[in-house]
Amino acid sequence: MVRSTWERIRSNPALAAPRLLRERIIDAIRAFFKARGFHEVETPLLVRYPGMEPYLEVFQTTWTTARGERHVGYLATSPEYAMKKLLAAGVGPIFQICKSFRNREDVSALHNPEFTILEWYRPHADYTALMDDCAELFRHIARALDPASDGAGWRYQGRWIDFAAPWERLPVREAFERYAGVRLQDGPDALFAAARAKGYPVSAETTWEQAYHQIFLNEIEPHLGQGTPTILYDYPIAMAALARASPRDPSVAERFELYVAGIELANAFSELIDVEEQRRRLLQEQEERRRLGRTLYDLDEDFLRALELGLPPSAGIALGVDRLAMLFADVTSIRDVLWFPADELFGTAACRDDSARPGGERQTDASPGGSASAAGEQDMQR
Amino acid sequence: MQITTTEFRKGLYILFRDEPYQIIDLEFVNPGKGSAFFRTKLKSLKTGRVIDYTFKSGESVEDYPVVTRELQYLYRDGDHLVFMDPETFNQYTAEAEVLGPIVDFLRENDTYSVMLHDDEVVGLRPPKRVVLTVAQAEPSVKGNTATGLTKPVVLDNGVTIIAPAFIEVGDTIAVNPDTREYIERVSA
Repeated sequence: MVRSTWERIRSNPALAAPRLLRERIIDAIRAFFKARGFHEVETPLLVRYPGMEPYLEVFQTTWTTARGERHVGYLATSPEYAMKKLLAAGVGPIFQICKSFRNREDVSALHNPEFTILEWYRPHADYTALMDDCAELFRHIARALDPASDGAGWRYQGRWIDFAAPWERLPVREAFERYAGVRLQDGPDALFAAARAKGYPVSAETTWEQAYHQIFLNEIEPHLGQGTPTILYDYPIAMAALARASPRDPSVAERFELYVAGIELANAFSELIDVEEQRRRLLQEQEERRRLGRTLYDLDEDFLRALELGLPPSAGIALGVDRLAMLFADVTSIRDVLWFPADELFGTAACRDDSARPGGERQTDASPGGSASAAGEQDMQR
Repeated sequence: MQITTTEFRKGLYILFRDEPYQIIDLEFVNPGKGSAFFRTKLKSLKTGRVIDYTFKSGESVEDYPVVTRELQYLYRDGDHLVFMDPETFNQYTAEAEVLGPIVDFLRENDTYSVMLHDDEVVGLRPPKRVVLTVAQAEPSVKGNTATGLTKPVVLDNGVTIIAPAFIEVGDTIAVNPDTREYIERVSA
């Protein structure tokens, strides 16, 4: 039998500490946004039209009415569409702390299929306003957790992350040049050649985006957010997602990701508000979903209508609260800030573990006298 | 034999760039546009050093075949640990570096699951739990039962771990030797 987190806390109360810190972080987030005139909103978790991102798979369910009418529904992968509709409604700056759900993911150090997301949106602003928000939010949380720190920074895994100094703002192109010696502006063939020269497998099927990530994940990401947090910004337009093209340089999108200690914490955009461009990208993503065999659903026409009626130029960001809590609790897995990790609920192994296969060799127990081991922890999978 | 990333799991032994490694951590990442990657931590079987490498989903590597045997731990000789197969009496020598920090928790004459490649020790599966006696600890404060209060304690094998504040010298406690996490008090 698996020993659940609550049971481990019962015998070792110290294990509650990172989870209780999480509670204080969430209090601090709420206080931060309310003091700045944001409204806290709640949007549905059970939706008819979830996000169209081809790399996200959804949980599907059915709502059956009392009369027996059946409606297919999904657990939201993020509250993005609904929050943008509220921007179109003119509600003003808004934030939300809610659960989001992503299927076909394992439980691991940085993933749980059900996770907590913080999203905030500023009308009449671009992504630079969100960069400032991030820095202020981190200082505010550090101050709330440890008033003596005055928000100057936080120690994570023995390294001091400086929140007070101006945060590093690094364009994606510069990051590739600095850490990998690759000039993205030289085009796809140069990227493939660089990837091959570095020893990554490159074939005729390798896409530009795969080669980009091979280099990014191996050679760039580990360097990000090591002194101050890093704002990695201005993504190649092919990776724009829901971001608008930069008015200064249409080959990049006004998008940034926030990294602390090599961990991606947030993803932000100057929102795309052009309805035709948005429809074109959604159709393209839907086609990509079909090609990949993902669950298919229609475009959220209500969301497109919001763009059509007019969204003010806005900026929005999604931040992973579990990862944020992991950082401030100084632990290396989000499991340590969750009361109920999904792998415990479903009895699956946290990332498949070779030593935990059914039929594997018996466990060794080295307790003296042996009998004390009867209540021992067992493999996750049994 | 070639194995692809879909077969990756923690504990697996692979040949990566012609060197043997064990996958000690594994994270599935989906950075965008449908392509998936596996972020791994790989421990070198030669040096014990851990490197990070992210594989593209579908990439393949060469398998590094190992067998698991129940071996008795005999003694330590400098940087080497000596094990014996209790059935054949064959002896196997392992480098402490390759086994990693778990060596602090091994007890002479106990039996462990040891991984071998061509009769060479490449790893040891840590027990999920060991019971040890507390050798040193600050005295606990009477009546203080505040949740989450902890202190460092030194175990009889010399390892220091973090335990609840109520633990005293002479208590026996269960510890996960892999994570060095306190599990529970066995007896006071």
